[in-house]
Amino acid sequence: MSGTPSPVADPATAVPASPPAVRRRLPLGSLAYAVLAAALVAVAATTPLSGYALNILMQAATYAIAVIGLTVVLGLCGQINLAQAAFFGIGAYAVGLGTVDGGLNFWICLIVGLGLAVVLGAALGASTLRLGGHYLAMVTISFQQILTLVLTNWIPVTHGPDGVPNIRRPALFADGQSYLALCVLVLAIVGWLVWHMPRTRLGRAMRAVRDNELAAGVSGIDIYRTKVAAFAVGSLLAGLGGGLFAGSFTYISPDQFSFAESIVFLTMALLGGVGSPVGAVIGTALLILIPEWLRFLKEIPGLYLAIYGLAVILIVVFMPDGIWGFLGDQVRRLRRTRPAPPPAAELTLSQGEASTAPMLEVSDLSKHFGGLKAVDAVSFTVARGGIHALIGPNGSGKTTTLNVLSGLYSPTGGTVRLAGQDVTRLSPHRRAAAGIGRTFQNIRLFRSMSALENVVIGAERPNNPLGAHDRAALEARARAALAFVGLEGRAEEPISGFSYGHQRLIEIARALAGNPVLLLLDEPAAGLNSSEKNALTVLLRRMAAKGLTILIIDHDMTLVSDVASHVTVLNFGRRIADGVTATVLREPAVIQAYLGEDAAAGPAASLKTDLAPV
Amino acid sequence: MTPAATPPLLEIRDLVVRYGEIEAVRGLSFSVGAGEVVTLLGSNGAGKSTTLKAISGLVRPAAGTILLEGKPLEGLKPEAIVRLGVAHVPEGRRVFPGLTVRENIMLGASNRSGLGKRALRDEVEAMFDLFPDIRRFGDALGWTLSGGQLQMVALARGLMAKPRILLLDEPSLGLAPVIVQAVFAIIAEVRRRGTTVLLVEQNARMGLSVADRGYVLETGRLVLSGDPESLWANDEIRSAYLGGRAKAEVLAAG
Amino acid sequence: MDLILQLLFTGIGIGSVYALVALGFVLIFRATNVVNFAQGEFSMVAAFLMVVFAVDLEWPYWLSLLLTIGGMALLGALFNLGVYYPLRHRSYLPVIISTIGASIFLANTTLALYGPQPQVLPPVFETQGFLLGPVFLDSQYLLIIAVTAALVAFQYWFFEHTLVGKKLQATSQDKEMAALLGIPVAGMIMLTFVYSAVLGGIAGILVAPVLFVSIQMGATIALKAFAATIIGGFGDVTGAIIGGLALGIIETFGAAYISVPYKDAFAFLVLIVFLVVRPQGLFGERVAEKA
Repeated sequence: MSGTPSPVADPATAVPASPPAVRRRLPLGSLAYAVLAAALVAVAATTPLSGYALNILMQAATYAIAVIGLTVVLGLCGQINLAQAAFFGIGAYAVGLGTVDGGLNFWICLIVGLGLAVVLGAALGASTLRLGGHYLAMVTISFQQILTLVLTNWIPVTHGPDGVPNIRRPALFADGQSYLALCVLVLAIVGWLVWHMPRTRLGRAMRAVRDNELAAGVSGIDIYRTKVAAFAVGSLLAGLGGGLFAGSFTYISPDQFSFAESIVFLTMALLGGVGSPVGAVIGTALLILIPEWLRFLKEIPGLYLAIYGLAVILIVVFMPDGIWGFLGDQVRRLRRTRPAPPPAAELTLSQGEASTAPMLEVSDLSKHFGGLKAVDAVSFTVARGGIHALIGPNGSGKTTTLNVLSGLYSPTGGTVRLAGQDVTRLSPHRRAAAGIGRTFQNIRLFRSMSALENVVIGAERPNNPLGAHDRAALEARARAALAFVGLEGRAEEPISGFSYGHQRLIEIARALAGNPVLLLLDEPAAGLNSSEKNALTVLLRRMAAKGLTILIIDHDMTLVSDVASHVTVLNFGRRIADGVTATVLREPAVIQAYLGEDAAAGPAASLKTDLAPV
Repeated sequence: MTPAATPPLLEIRDLVVRYGEIEAVRGLSFSVGAGEVVTLLGSNGAGKSTTLKAISGLVRPAAGTILLEGKPLEGLKPEAIVRLGVAHVPEGRRVFPGLTVRENIMLGASNRSGLGKRALRDEVEAMFDLFPDIRRFGDALGWTLSGGQLQMVALARGLMAKPRILLLDEPSLGLAPVIVQAVFAIIAEVRRRGTTVLLVEQNARMGLSVADRGYVLETGRLVLSGDPESLWANDEIRSAYLGGRAKAEVLAAG
Repeated sequence: MDLILQLLFTGIGIGSVYALVALGFVLIFRATNVVNFAQGEFSMVAAFLMVVFAVDLEWPYWLSLLLTIGGMALLGALFNLGVYYPLRHRSYLPVIISTIGASIFLANTTLALYGPQPQVLPPVFETQGFLLGPVFLDSQYLLIIAVTAALVAFQYWFFEHTLVGKKLQATSQDKEMAALLGIPVAGMIMLTFVYSAVLGGIAGILVAPVLFVSIQMGATIALKAFAATIIGGFGDVTGAIIGGLALGIIETFGAAYISVPYKDAFAFLVLIVFLVVRPQGLFGERVAEKA
């Protein structure tokens, strides 16, 4: 494959010839699951159960659906949502009011309820544009409280505190037994879907946002849309559970969908393990069944919930991953290893049309923080191909400049053009789409994922001309990138197993997998020992040899002078030198910037020797 | 090179400090005698600030010993270490933005007990004699001050602790050359009054101008040491900062 | 016009209660970066303690008051040790969830110990109040406003004119630097929790005669206090006070002119509007203030 800039690569040859079609693993897991689910449904439909037991099981099943929704928004995407009971209630009331007051068909009401829940959930998710953390928690609580108030007080519509009795089930599932079977079936389907979600593109995006939002953005993920999607899915499932709940219990009232219930859902998720639907089911089952066995606790009002509250604190302090989180680790270790994949192909980087125009043009770039001019009217260009370094003493504005270039800060003034395109105001993920890749000084990898998954996310960046949509091709490209940095054999390992130096390489591989046209490296040598630095130098040269344009910030002057052909020097936010590396590093202004002024005044006069040029 | 006979005020032996997996300081040994001003030089990432943080207790060393007049400091909390007389003026000044200059300086005496209100106020006023340029800002809030003023306040605050040794981290950082001159003039005066100072600086010129001795660090190791004049004249110092063909070798301390 | 003045008085009265709770809440946030979802429960527990001492045991008011405040100080200390301290290095999510758990635990333990019946705490003064022109000044509301003003003045004096107050401010603004100077950070944080619990408790004792003393009162007051801090600008002390007063007034006028059952909704609506439109609140632009 090509190593020098070439005309637009012929798609047929650009993607490495696929390795002999990796046979889709026989979905043994899914088959087993389907069998188990079918068995459970059959049992539910046929085993004679008392009315009481039916009620408990139906409650457990419908609650579990809502709690699984929480594992999506909270567990997968890391966004706090304390209004799950509100969406549960929306689904329930849609079914209740629709069938009783409107006389409509159960299924239609259920679908309307789902639609309402999704829309409102997405609206709530939309608030994440501006808010996160405790602000978001408060918005969700407020939403929950407002809904409770509406349900209680809008009597003409919702019947107020009296609630809605005599909800009719669909004709097909009119008796308790078959309705339970329906709930179990829906739960099984939902569980399966959510089980596979982490491995879908959206699921990966959610996990990336949870693990490291900044890195997700620069890898091309639309953070905001991902969060909205997470909320939408979470509330969809809550609405589904609520609608089914209404049909199971056949009576609903506002206090079943209060803030306290949202906490109950949260506790169930935390206890079982917020990371997976299995945890959700475990947590729900435990917290519904145990109190039934300890029914005496309900005799004293408040004791039951007081224990809930205490349980929440204890779980958060001592068992943050929940029961399944703990067990799941053990299970994962037992899983058989996958067959060794075929050797990865050579990594290709398509650089687009050859041109003498500069890759990056920075004009009069400024970034002010209040009165502080961190970057002050800096201009420089980076030619296509090769390595350009941006250096300067501590506090000179290099890192700020890099952050402006990758979109993490918006500039106070000036423009940035990438291959002629104005990218000055683009958000980080759009810059990634335009072809800017970047690594971080303090290494931002997605810690819950393997090396391979990290790199696959890089490969998924939008507008990647060498990208693909099917899993096999993405993985192949990711493996090629890992092979390029020498880590192919350890692709499946989790990040925590890699040394610092190797983690840095994985971050570089992630950026390379996205086929960037401009790669920004933020202090890639930081924290590396000398042999690692040598290896890095070699790697950088190989990357440049493929025609990649690299802009590097670093303090290690040996590294810089070894790899960079051009260098721009900043001091106090201003450009003080720019040109061929060897020449620039000898300029007096540059030497002074690093070692200090030669000024004769003051105590410095005691040092009489002049600084002779090297 | 070391002061004869009397044991050093501060002694560092084989210090190793890690941030996760990265070794920021790899086996550093040096000492500071009473009344001396010692400067640690080196480019960014050399481990200078980390060394100071290990001494003042902000980070815990992975290995090695830190002795203040023979008393080990490793593992003690910062509150305890400052009470023993080690005052750290950190990188970036960190003047409390919502408190006035006077209040900031006053809090510098938090490590001393038994100081009455009047005595405290008098000491703060006396401190302004050393820092006349900021006297008129006495009631100004921290966030309104410029970098140079902040550096003065931070220095005054550090001196209020009546420290046995003052740790100064990159006082010239982010300051214009003219301001740096003023700040170092004060450091020179502090030196004249006999305070022991361990100074960390990227600006080698200024750092050496007030020092009795200097050490140069590179990626966590000591590579050069000596008196200011000979260090400044040494080619190696330039390669430690700017890379190049002259590769530094590790020298024994002293 | 008469009605407006009357509503204004009531609004300021109830707003003072919100301001007090909001104050305690903001202080904890500034010192520890923790949003304490159990702040309202401090008020609720104090109100119940007063009922136990002053009504059930019929002990003298001043004694009951002292015991309750002592109890709140103890509660604040335990809260610090049990809920904040084990999680002080973790991210915001576990801490939020933990304080929510604490809030539920406190509310329901009280319920389990005392029972669900709302209680009545009689007002402090025998006389109900007096007329000032067209406005009837309820004595309990007057007390609320007076005590709040006194506490705000005390707090101002404490933070501005005592060394400990300065040390607390320093801890709030830069914990690590405070430690470097020798300020006992853990002790400062403990002091903050104790003080905030007492503030919340006083608010509860003041407002109890006006509402019923019930298990739910904590949650309602807390959310109003959150709304107040958002309006004022999250983390800003003056903002919390002004936000509390403003919310009290908005709510009172809203109940009178728009709807009574949805009175509580106003707080939440205001909260959402501010969070979406102006998350930094009214005073959010100001750089770090004195506490």
